[in-house]
Amino acid sequence: MTTIKTFATALGATLGLLGAGYAQAQTVLKVHYPMPGFFKDVMADISQAFMRENPDVSIEFVAPSPTYEDGLQLLLRQANSANQPDISFVGFNRLRVIDERGLAVDLTPFIAEEADIAAEGFSPRLLDLAKVGDHQLGLAFAASTPIMYYNADLLREVGGDPENPPDTWDEVIEYGGRIAALGNGVQGIDFRWQGDDWMFMALVLGDGGRMMSEDEKSVAFAGPEGQAALELIERMRREGGMPVFTKAAGEQAFVSGKVGFAFQTTGALRNTINNVGDKFDLRTAPLPLLDAERGKLPTGGNAIVMLTRDPAKQQAAWRLMKFAAGPYGAATVVPGTGYVPTNTLAAQSPDYLGDFYPANPLFQAGLDQMDAMVPWYAFPGANGVRITQAIVDRLAALVELRATPAETLDGMRADVERLLPRR
Amino acid sequence: MSESLASPSSTLSRRLSAPARRQARSEALSGWILASPAMALMAMLILAPMLAVVWFSLTDYQLGYPGAIFIGLENYRALLDDPLFLTSLGNTLLYTAIVAPLSVALGLGAALLIESETRGRAFFRTVYFLPVASLLVAMATVWQYLMHPQIGMINQMLALVGLEGRNWLGSSDTVLWSLAAIGVWQSVGFNMVLFLAGLTAIPRELYAAARIDGAASAWQRFRLVTWPLLGPTTLFVLVISVINAVKVFETVKTLTEGGPNKASEVLLYTIYQEGFSYLQVGYASAMTVVFLAILMVAMLIQYLVINRRTHYQ
Repeated sequence: MTTIKTFATALGATLGLLGAGYAQAQTVLKVHYPMPGFFKDVMADISQAFMRENPDVSIEFVAPSPTYEDGLQLLLRQANSANQPDISFVGFNRLRVIDERGLAVDLTPFIAEEADIAAEGFSPRLLDLAKVGDHQLGLAFAASTPIMYYNADLLREVGGDPENPPDTWDEVIEYGGRIAALGNGVQGIDFRWQGDDWMFMALVLGDGGRMMSEDEKSVAFAGPEGQAALELIERMRREGGMPVFTKAAGEQAFVSGKVGFAFQTTGALRNTINNVGDKFDLRTAPLPLLDAERGKLPTGGNAIVMLTRDPAKQQAAWRLMKFAAGPYGAATVVPGTGYVPTNTLAAQSPDYLGDFYPANPLFQAGLDQMDAMVPWYAFPGANGVRITQAIVDRLAALVELRATPAETLDGMRADVERLLPRR
Repeated sequence: MSESLASPSSTLSRRLSAPARRQARSEALSGWILASPAMALMAMLILAPMLAVVWFSLTDYQLGYPGAIFIGLENYRALLDDPLFLTSLGNTLLYTAIVAPLSVALGLGAALLIESETRGRAFFRTVYFLPVASLLVAMATVWQYLMHPQIGMINQMLALVGLEGRNWLGSSDTVLWSLAAIGVWQSVGFNMVLFLAGLTAIPRELYAAARIDGAASAWQRFRLVTWPLLGPTTLFVLVISVINAVKVFETVKTLTEGGPNKASEVLLYTIYQEGFSYLQVGYASAMTVVFLAILMVAMLIQYLVINRRTHYQ
């Protein structure tokens, strides 16, 4: 061991004498990321490209976490310890947890130092995605919105035109009902209400509503927008041919060609394409909005955040963050997943994704709704994540037709008020 | 601790001569020295984590915040009026009440059938044991397909005989029963192996003796010989089945995530959510202590009953 070390030191010294470029100290960045199934290749690609351009920095990956939740656990456990990673990737809806515990470095000063951050492809709207209050907690790395997947064969069979798919919810329900009437186990709609509050939020924001009041003191979704969202879900169930699916069951039924419309994240696009194969004519379209004028959509995905407090490391980390969230990073992430580019330069330039979209029209739906993207709202306080689950549970009762939309909305409001921090 | 353990030897030593006393003491000492590595490991790996859980359960510790405040039994009091915890406890008990007796009965049945016939014994033993050896998370995915409301094989077979299928995992009426069915499927093989071991320990002469004494039918011989002599095995299998059923987690996590609307929420999943998603380590620890208490009661019952009732030798 000692011999190897001595040898390495000697080798290093010799190399240092040979080339002055190698003499500068290496900054080592420890990088952690979740969901290796999605991101392993992407991360390897980005880190190699970055180290080629920045020979003074070397990237070390710590073992990736299987899910966003596991990743967050790891960050919280290792907070302020020697094992803490310098950089990590955190789900948009968990940034608030990180912020409340003061874990991530606020990037505002780094952005202020840049000559023109918007010219580097980071528009204010994209920066907002990773903002909590006035803390810039990270840079959006992978971003997604809910889109409409549809089975063009089934739509054609009931007299619809796949080239002009439904763009209002009324039409969706109309065609969904007709598709379900085909029988033989075919269903109209799979709407991904399970798991988290994201799709419910998409309907509320899509009607121009918001989840909480500006000061976060009162529930804002319990008005007409929330009512409209829940009535819509009930109509999908009663008229649109939506059965009670578990998440996995819905996915399987759609890729088997047994469902007309599926509403879920554009992030699942690559997997859906692979699973459908040539079983049927798969198409995508933007998510219909209840209010086409004022409607917005919550943004899923993750942001790259800085955890290191060491100034030298911070400089290197900031460079890596801009690179990963920059055009090169975006052009690597998008084709492999279905996420939308988090950098304005990537989408337009033919060097990056300019040629990708015309050749891959299924990816266009997500890109088309980028103007409607707003941050995924996370509820405040220690019960923030629990509120999400409470909303899902209420939705389950509605979908099982055990509660009316009005009862569901009242229940949701009561749950959220009970779980909000008391001030 | 060492004082209380040393005291019996000191009463003993009063009656012994000086050299004998010295020898007894040095024997006790070497005993402690020899046992100490195992005891240290046990303290570090089993007792310390359990004490840590008990300690956390008395605080309001949340992951990621620096300090924790001692709040006494507040977490336990909160558990009593937490509807989610009570639902979860109820579901776990119902699940256990379905899975444990069924898997014991079917395990016993399979063992008796295999034992009574020599042909293909190894084959059937292997087949029944396969679910135990397979990875439950992977098998859960297979069950997910089988129980799919549209494309699932179970509903398609029901349709062949003109029956209407159910939404096995998607409806809150059926979800716990569907999970219980998977639980039974998984544990029958394990119970069968334990029963087979118990059956081979029964002396053949007893059956011959029973026959001579007039136990003509197989049922009589089962009731008079097999069943009483399997008593200790049955109790052991029952306790193991209860413990395994209370510990149900993988199928819930992979198939239903406790839903719909908490219909399949079980203890371990609630603890997992509380600790890992909601980051409330203190509260999750209190649930863990309750969970451990249930398991300990099950083991205690087994210990007491075995000591009292099931000795035949």
